[in-house]
Amino acid sequence: MSETEIKPITMNFGPQHPAAHGVLRLVFEMDGEVIKRADPHIGLLHRGTEKLIENKTYLQALPYFDRLDYVSPMNQEHAWALSVERLLNIQVPRRGQYIRVLFCELGRILNHILNLTAFALDVGAMTPLLWGFEEREILLSFYERASGARFHAAYFRPGGVHQDIPEELLEDIMKWLNEFPSFINDLETLLTANRIFKQRTVDVGVVSKEDALNLGFSGPPLRASGHVWDLRKEQPYDVYPEMNFDIPVGKTGDCYARYLVRVEEMRQSCRIIEQCIKEIPKGKVLSNDAKMVPPSRKDMKGSMEALIQHFKLYTEGVHVPPAETYTAVEAPKGEFGVFLVSDGSNKPYRAKLRAPGFQFLAATEHMCKGHMLADAVAVIGSMDLVFGEIDR
Amino acid sequence: MGVDTHEGLLSSDQDTILNAAVSDIKNKGFIVASADKLFNWARSGSLWPMSFGLACCAVEMMHAAASRYDMDRYGMLFRPSPRQADVMIVAGTLTNKMAPALRRVYDQMAEPRWVVSMGSCANGGGYYHYSYSVVRGCDRVVPVDVYVPGCPPTAEALIYGLLQLQKKIRRTATIAR
Amino acid sequence: MENSPNEETSNFCSIIKNIIGKDVIDSKIDFEQFQVTVPAKQIYEVLTSLHSNSSFCFDQLIDITAIDFPDLSPRFEIVYLLLSTSTNKRLIVKIKVDEGELVRSCENIYKSANWSEREIWDMFGIFFSGHPDLRRLLTDYGFEGHPLRKDFPLTGRVQVKYDVDQNRVVYEPVKLIQEYRDFDFLSPWETSFGEIEKNEDSESDQS
Repeated sequence: MSETEIKPITMNFGPQHPAAHGVLRLVFEMDGEVIKRADPHIGLLHRGTEKLIENKTYLQALPYFDRLDYVSPMNQEHAWALSVERLLNIQVPRRGQYIRVLFCELGRILNHILNLTAFALDVGAMTPLLWGFEEREILLSFYERASGARFHAAYFRPGGVHQDIPEELLEDIMKWLNEFPSFINDLETLLTANRIFKQRTVDVGVVSKEDALNLGFSGPPLRASGHVWDLRKEQPYDVYPEMNFDIPVGKTGDCYARYLVRVEEMRQSCRIIEQCIKEIPKGKVLSNDAKMVPPSRKDMKGSMEALIQHFKLYTEGVHVPPAETYTAVEAPKGEFGVFLVSDGSNKPYRAKLRAPGFQFLAATEHMCKGHMLADAVAVIGSMDLVFGEIDR
Repeated sequence: MGVDTHEGLLSSDQDTILNAAVSDIKNKGFIVASADKLFNWARSGSLWPMSFGLACCAVEMMHAAASRYDMDRYGMLFRPSPRQADVMIVAGTLTNKMAPALRRVYDQMAEPRWVVSMGSCANGGGYYHYSYSVVRGCDRVVPVDVYVPGCPPTAEALIYGLLQLQKKIRRTATIAR
Repeated sequence: MENSPNEETSNFCSIIKNIIGKDVIDSKIDFEQFQVTVPAKQIYEVLTSLHSNSSFCFDQLIDITAIDFPDLSPRFEIVYLLLSTSTNKRLIVKIKVDEGELVRSCENIYKSANWSEREIWDMFGIFFSGHPDLRRLLTDYGFEGHPLRKDFPLTGRVQVKYDVDQNRVVYEPVKLIQEYRDFDFLSPWETSFGEIEKNEDSESDQS
């Protein structure tokens, strides 16, 4: 019998694939069913956001951030608003800060519902998606009532938020909040103790604590590997220092731990939202600072100076003194940061967007090696990838 | 099976067709229908979309298919494979790198096939029109039947667009080769 | 705008300067963030000492990015963003490189540098020596040019369409139906006043 050489097969996964979570092209080298190497090809959604931001004013660049992590849009706007406020030294009024934290946590719940139910769909459970998307519809209706748009709201502006929320919205959010924990309980009943789910996710894609830190992880995957690190507690912004909530930390660092961490984060977000609604003060939502913030429409239609200020702000924009800063927020996926370089003109000179999913995807090879093809699907689902932010 | 033939309750075209067919069967024993209309009824009544979700519009497409704006009640069932799909919904920004893949997937679809361009990025480049790596409209690569505007179009708008596609199919599709 | 740093930040700065040692070219504190500039040749040693330092271990390399200053020489400034989760401190390390200069890759120290360096190679054209796999990450297969350089046009040089004759997607030179309109309201007010003054001057000279 002659000797045959066994070569690994190269297999292409994506870019159009129901489980590829957007446009991901993974090239696997496989020995039978076991993955030897994984090479993600990204850039299939590279839209040139950073180059476009360099040609727009600071306010015109804001909606690009909505479109980065498009499942929880307002959290990314938050990072931009915070970085511009830092450069201009603008203080946001208390009510504006509370509204921001409230919508950030709603965005966190939006993101975790989509991630967990889509993860369950990839792994084989179809029901959580249908239940979860009804909850998402209710949350998107809250976004719409506050800002006018279901998805890309352009609501968080440097200086606060764009307009005040109606009182009934807070009551409705409170009513929804009383019923939401039952959805989380239903989700857990279906998945957490489910034998099939556990067989597909326990011990799959294990990342140790040292590896997670070295690979640049942040957010739920880092916490699932056992490292206690949450920017809302360590480097807080807005009114997070006054919020009472806990941070779930996992032990094993596999897909199941990431799932459990996200479920518990949803419960903690409910606590934060409840606290925000109870404590929110009355007042203005947008700072008074005339450098960045336009006058109210009533003033603009009455007074000449307000009209000129409105015109200059919306066309020329604000001149930001030359400086550089890195501002990071705890987005639902991890640490989302903006490294903003300004040169004194009305356009940013360079804005680098640090997306958490970038490093997660870079670590795919580390996580998938030695597993089988179906486990790769589970790993990709648990990492919470959204290509808007990875490819920018 | 018993079909209700009370004239006063007729409300839609489908009821009219069904009632006419049943009464014909009862009276004559056979029915006559125009083949065109029959095929168009079948084609538009069970349009199976292929999910080509690229960017943010994909999430609105998922919302359109989920529990509130259920697409399944229109007969639209998402198929992952292009060979089994009738309509391709291009949802999101098409980049230069992705364009060959899009064309290849479109070529794999069997006739009759339609394309719905969803969102302003797929319609004409949208918010990223002036970027170096974006195709200014997916109609540069595939022929498009219905354009759904919006950024992103709400799930309702997408369903409206798909219903317009159904109307277009009934109006224009023929069985001639 | 530089805020005056508080005492804690100043202590932190002096500790970092001690760790890096003689390699510090420049340092500044902007908005309570410490930025330190080191020579490009020493970046690997600096990052190793920061990573292995026991009291201030910078265990995470958050990101690497580059900024293009076409008027300055050296042209590029590469920025390393570091985070120490044990002490909750951030640090920005910068190096200045010229076009065509090689930078030593830090992938051995922090694995998260792998893709960040690939992205910088793709977007700016800065080559990292010792990187295991330096190739294009975000731009198209066969893309020419480095998009984020300031001399690369916003709309690029090629666009894509489907050619019916060749039955495939082809590249052709970019042709915009409507140019990118830059409503730069800085200039019209100033030039019109300047012309009015110039005309008045010439009239007064003649009279």
